[in-house]
Amino acid sequence: MTTSQSNPPRAVDLIDRAAAPWRSPKWGAVSSLGVLALVLPIVLLRFGAGTFMVHLLITFFLWSVVAQSWNLVLGVSGIYSFAQIALFAVGGWVTGVLSMSYGWNPWLSLALAPIVTTAAALVIGLPSLRLRGVYVVLLTLAFHELLRNYVTNGPRVISGGGYGLIGVPRLDFGPLSSFSHLVPSYYLALFFFAVATFAIWWVFQSPIGVAFAALRDSEGYAIGRGIDQFRIKLFLFGFSAFFTGLAGGLMTHYLGSISQSIFAFSVLINVLAMIVIGGWGSFGGPILGTALLLGLQEGLRDLADFRTLVLGLALASVAVLAPSGLWPKLRDGFRDFLDESPDDEEESDQGRDLLVDTAETSEHGSGAQSVAPD
Amino acid sequence: MSELLQATWGGVLAGSVYGLMAVGLTLIWGAVRLLNLAHGALYVAGAYAAWTVINVGLPLAVGIPAAVIAAGALGYGMHATIIRPMLGRPGWDSASIIATVGVGIALQAAILLIFGPRVKQLPAVVSGSTVISSVRISYQGLVIVLVAVVSLVALFFYLRSSRQGMAIRAISQHMDAAALMGVPVHRTYALVMIISAGLAGLAGVLLSSVLFLSPTSGFTPMIIALLVTIFGGLGSVKGTIVAAYLIGMLEASVQVYLGGAWALPALFGFIIFMLIVRPSGLFGVPEAQRL
Repeated sequence: MTTSQSNPPRAVDLIDRAAAPWRSPKWGAVSSLGVLALVLPIVLLRFGAGTFMVHLLITFFLWSVVAQSWNLVLGVSGIYSFAQIALFAVGGWVTGVLSMSYGWNPWLSLALAPIVTTAAALVIGLPSLRLRGVYVVLLTLAFHELLRNYVTNGPRVISGGGYGLIGVPRLDFGPLSSFSHLVPSYYLALFFFAVATFAIWWVFQSPIGVAFAALRDSEGYAIGRGIDQFRIKLFLFGFSAFFTGLAGGLMTHYLGSISQSIFAFSVLINVLAMIVIGGWGSFGGPILGTALLLGLQEGLRDLADFRTLVLGLALASVAVLAPSGLWPKLRDGFRDFLDESPDDEEESDQGRDLLVDTAETSEHGSGAQSVAPD
Repeated sequence: MSELLQATWGGVLAGSVYGLMAVGLTLIWGAVRLLNLAHGALYVAGAYAAWTVINVGLPLAVGIPAAVIAAGALGYGMHATIIRPMLGRPGWDSASIIATVGVGIALQAAILLIFGPRVKQLPAVVSGSTVISSVRISYQGLVIVLVAVVSLVALFFYLRSSRQGMAIRAISQHMDAAALMGVPVHRTYALVMIISAGLAGLAGVLLSSVLFLSPTSGFTPMIIALLVTIFGGLGSVKGTIVAAYLIGMLEASVQVYLGGAWALPALFGFIIFMLIVRPSGLFGVPEAQRL
């Protein structure tokens, strides 16, 4: 980091810094967002619609983690897994059944949920990750269908007679829960969102993330460079399942129920749309997409019947017209807007393009050349 | 004995329809390298087109071609709006899958808006049935098997001998070389999409005269067709047809001997086992050799 003053900067420095941006995060933006998120419920709850807004924010936090983890698998690593909702359901069912029917402390069963989900993901991953594209689609959809079948027709403890789990005990927040259930839930969801987002961001920027991107973009080359694709895919699969399962568990305890309707194709498509419309394979895309789609869901409440139609058309047109989604476009626009001060920031962004965002650089494809100043 | 006969008849019936669905999928995969997840929606669209025609007062004999034409037109639309602008761009693999998912949902949602969620059933071409050693065989089932087999055989010879069929096969072997030899690439792709979608529509109208029809009823046949395609070896038409009947038999025997709830789990278990033992399918060429 000491050489940042040298002019022109060496490509190695740029790559080093881009490979480890957590050493120089944008503290200003992150901390102001954090403060906003901490204060928001206190402000919102003073207004009439505040309760609903806080509920919406909790939903946003949880679903955005699911979208982000799925994006790691689908967008970053290029594994066409459609098992993410099933994994979400595994997390929800594990903690739901244990706390409701077996009288476990909800916190304890919640802690078990991501572990079981990760184990389930490894079981699906072992046969399917050795295969490619189309086969993975089939096997993961198969898992989804089989699980739906099981929780519908399985033992009564699990199926709830076909109605799912109703009356799952809520998390006990101790003295905090005395004034409202909503506020502690909000902070728990926020904390979970922050931790998960940071972990995913870290994976994105770490050498592991670079290896994922390399595998997706040129499998042969990446393997030639000594990347063990099976192990790295399995790690990623388990990693994303961990947070997905935890999100499922949190959602179940927050809502107090989980039902078979989670397996509906429309739920799967909704999360997929969050990723695709927000920005397939980019870090911020799924977060943006979740916010957009949840907002849209509320905005288009009157058009309920047309929502799926609009969603399908939006998915198809984004895939055809802007395959990298809205986030890269937004970010580029923002960067151009700030372009008056092309200093440190700008350089490290160039380096990052070189390393990670290969999917996006294929559009403005000169990432590699622009960081070769000698 | 009668159980065995029952299973065989059920297998032939289901296998014929799965064959129609799966051959469409495998054709697109072989020629365009596109996994068409809108195939189930095309199946449903064909069935609803036939239902509309029948509701006007025309017989099913008119409904069947109507279904094929409607689905084929949608297939052409998919070619014009998705495949043509996207083909050859980087990221085709993932973007095309997403695009077909989007089209599939939009199509399903449109059908739901137009026809409503109520379950419908198509009438039979011929009613009545005959009993062969305690197995009831409906004439409608015989018609389905007949139409499917004739279509599959016709398709097989079309691909093998006709000029356009050879163009399709040339493109699926090597697109660039075929283009250099003067094969009109985009027109052939359009043709593949129309044929494949038309077959899905045909499967839709045939199966919906036996099963019930709702906007979402295309999902399970599509999954099974995907399974058949992979079992037969992706891109191999002959393998797909053989696999369709084998899978149909397997499903029917599981239904007869173990009960209907086990059919899908058994199929998935079978295909997972298959993928471990022989990942390229029955007649498929291993990935490395094809490249």
